[in-house]
Amino acid sequence: MSLQRRIRRSAWLVLAPFFVFGLAFEIIPVLTLVRSSFSGEGGWTLANFGRAFTPAMVNSFRNSLQLSATTALLGVVGGTVVGYAIVTARSRFVRDALTALADVTANFGGAPLAFAFIVTLGSTGVVTLLLKAAGVSLYPSFRIYSVSGLTIAYVYFQLPLMILLIVPALLGLRREWREAATNLGATRAQYWLRVALPILAPSLLGSFLLLFANAFGAYATAWTLTGPDVNLVTVQIAALVRGEVQLDPALADALALVSLGVMAVCVLGYRWLATRPWRAVP
Amino acid sequence: MRGRVLWRAVALALFLAFMLVPLLATVLFSVSTRWDRTIWPEGFTLRWWQAVTARSAFQDTLLNSLAVAAATVAVSVALVTPTAYWAHLRVPRAKPWIEFLAIVPFGLPGVVLALGLIRFYSGVPLPLINRPAILVAAYVVLTLPFMYRPLVNALEAVDARTLTEAAQSLGAGSWQTLLRAILPNILPGVVNGSLLVFSTVFAEFTLANLLIGTRFKTFPIYLVEFTRFDARQASALAVISFVVAWLASVLIIWLAGRGDRPRETLAAR
Repeated sequence: MSLQRRIRRSAWLVLAPFFVFGLAFEIIPVLTLVRSSFSGEGGWTLANFGRAFTPAMVNSFRNSLQLSATTALLGVVGGTVVGYAIVTARSRFVRDALTALADVTANFGGAPLAFAFIVTLGSTGVVTLLLKAAGVSLYPSFRIYSVSGLTIAYVYFQLPLMILLIVPALLGLRREWREAATNLGATRAQYWLRVALPILAPSLLGSFLLLFANAFGAYATAWTLTGPDVNLVTVQIAALVRGEVQLDPALADALALVSLGVMAVCVLGYRWLATRPWRAVP
Repeated sequence: MRGRVLWRAVALALFLAFMLVPLLATVLFSVSTRWDRTIWPEGFTLRWWQAVTARSAFQDTLLNSLAVAAATVAVSVALVTPTAYWAHLRVPRAKPWIEFLAIVPFGLPGVVLALGLIRFYSGVPLPLINRPAILVAAYVVLTLPFMYRPLVNALEAVDARTLTEAAQSLGAGSWQTLLRAILPNILPGVVNGSLLVFSTVFAEFTLANLLIGTRFKTFPIYLVEFTRFDARQASALAVISFVVAWLASVLIIWLAGRGDRPRETLAAR
């Protein structure tokens, strides 16, 4: 073996602890789930996936997909509008303060957030009482401990994340493009539909996928707010982990693998859209 | 023209209200004597704060969370810093693999990671399952993207190659170079990553709940238990969680603001 190659080999050795750690606590646990969900008594099988799709599980997937799509869409639309309002605000203080607010609140989530919404929109919540005084009764038609309550709580962490994701793309919209469009006789609507949105499209789609994954994998907020009442994929998997349901390991693993597939599509799609070079003008 | 100013003011005001009302309501609720019949608290008191902080479980869970968060930061810094530096300088071909390991956690729901860890480590004769050690390991994985990204950005910003060559021409060994020449220069990246890791771990509920559960209670687990039986004291705990997350973010923003100057000089060069 040449000396140079030996040096190159030993250079890889320095990285060994990191890769051993990653294999041990990240890759092998996932591969364990893959193997167990595809194996049955007679070797490889797809039977576990068939058993995983009981009505309750199908329902949990429907709820999770619906909740993720709704909150991702609300996050993308709301975050883009607010993000555009932030980057075009004239006062530097307003821009800095609101970006900082998005930065801070994007890290809020889980149990404290769920609880904050109970205090705000619960049956005796602050906003509930205020609206009641103004003659609007939220309850009993609305409940914070429901899918619609969860939607509001999820939007709370989706919105600031979207703002952080989209602001760089919005800053990339050149003033000259708008002026050129206006000079050529385009209305504001035409400018947005024909110029700005097509340029923003990859960022919007990528952000949607990331927000979708963000909601799909979430558990703590849902568990604190609604417990087992709202049937989500993560709630089902957690119940199987804790052994609250008749333990069927292969079934839990199959369920976990399907949700991993959903997450993988989102994250890979996001990466592809984020790293692909896009031409602004076709 | 006026219409354009108006929509912006409305959008920003709605955003501000939606983000701040739940937080302010929780803070106010935690110091209210009673606030479930009137639109403004009937009176103010520190009773709930005194009651909840006096419990020994409060101190235990707070210390547990601080310890787990500190241990995660320590392991993550020790593991990721030399790796990122070495790959950046000597083994660029390893970078895509490291990047892969640092991206997977984005697509790995906490419940799935917990399930995988339990499945594998309950069948292996290692003293890990149901121990805080496996929780720390899971947290290092979960927060890998938060530690790796700022480190790589910092390494790319400081021209690590020239620094290394300078240190080694003065006779420094590899570890000496890393600790005495590189680390001080990429410290903002290390601190930024550490703060993100710390605040994420401090607030994490899913893995703590599923991997260890009641044997080793962390602060978020304590908080969730409280929301089930005493809302007022739970609100004080929620405020503490928000303050910790807020402090970490403010520190990161402040450090980034300070870091602007050297970046500008780099760009000017």
